[in-house]
Amino acid sequence: MDVLVLAAKSALAVMLLAAGGAKLADLDAFAGTVRLFIPRRIPSQIREDMAVGVALAELLIGALSLAIPTIRWLNPVVFALGCIFVAVSGIGYAFHRGRSCRCFGGLSRRKFDVPGIIRSVAIAALAAVAMLNVRPLAIHIDTAARILLLAAAALLAAASFTAAKALAVSRDAQPRLAPQ
Amino acid sequence: MTIPLYLAVAQWVLLLALGLLVIIMYRQLGRVFDKTKEAAALGPEVGKKAAEFGYERISDDTRHYVTPGDGQPSLVAFVDPTCPACEQLVDNLGIAMEAGDLAGFRVLLLTSDPPSYLQISDTFRTTRLEIGKVTTHGVREAYNALATPLLVAIDGDGKVRAAGSVRQLKEVRGFGQACLLPLPDTTLAVLPSEPNREEMAEVAARPPASNEER
Repeated sequence: MDVLVLAAKSALAVMLLAAGGAKLADLDAFAGTVRLFIPRRIPSQIREDMAVGVALAELLIGALSLAIPTIRWLNPVVFALGCIFVAVSGIGYAFHRGRSCRCFGGLSRRKFDVPGIIRSVAIAALAAVAMLNVRPLAIHIDTAARILLLAAAALLAAASFTAAKALAVSRDAQPRLAPQ
Repeated sequence: MTIPLYLAVAQWVLLLALGLLVIIMYRQLGRVFDKTKEAAALGPEVGKKAAEFGYERISDDTRHYVTPGDGQPSLVAFVDPTCPACEQLVDNLGIAMEAGDLAGFRVLLLTSDPPSYLQISDTFRTTRLEIGKVTTHGVREAYNALATPLLVAIDGDGKVRAAGSVRQLKEVRGFGQACLLPLPDTTLAVLPSEPNREEMAEVAARPPASNEER
């Protein structure tokens, strides 16, 4: 059982790191998604700041959750994030169906649709599993391991950032088929 | 020494995530190569006579007809306002025009999208270049313009001198230069990296040479 809980915990942390890194690579596009969920009268600068805030929060929570598994209060925070994802998917499906959610920046072109809601529910469920108790010995890691995990988190975020940036550029650069 | 369970699990998850990223990148790389291959096949055959075509100028709704070979070299760009690479090409054509690199050229942007679409793009809305909507049937087929952007360089004799899905300023200048230099024996395989402006101006000032002279 411990293996399942810890796999869920680390998978969620890795997902947050990849999502945060990818969002940072294409902030303008993600700010466009943020715009869908906030009133239009809010200035664009605030929307962009919110987009940066979401990406950085995901990176921070992901890195801490991965590198310091003993911080127990992070588990409910990740679960709350999962619930927010479900809410955003539901609202997006209701009001902006078919629009790209940019949840993983340029890495994915997933849209607000039914599979999107199911994925969000699966993430929330995974976060619920990650909240279960495990033997303290299983998550007790020394400082060197934490530093190595932090380095791995930084590497993953950087790889995700680079991949999303490269994909966004290559998509923009590809010729568009002319209408016949 | 035993490794804590969390560390063993986390490193496998990290490995899988990084592997997934590599797969995503390679998959996309494959798609880019496919698209590049498609783009390389675009455009009319170099050295052949370019097809005539009519178009409706968007700015004043007047109809015009282009007959390649009237002595004026042309750069014809097949573009669409919803394609980012087309916006880049239009920007760079404008820069080359303003810099005088394309003095004496007819530069024409051809689109098949409705004029209302031009308002979507800042680049298309504000460009000073002439934009036309194709009115002659079969132009896209004649120019093999099956994807956008496509830039076609036509010399004063009406022959296609270069064609391809380009967008960089250096490439645009190279296309302009290709129209003015003597017709090579082989098709244009590699564009000159930096055009020689003095040489271009000198060649542009000369009267158009007839086929017999060449």
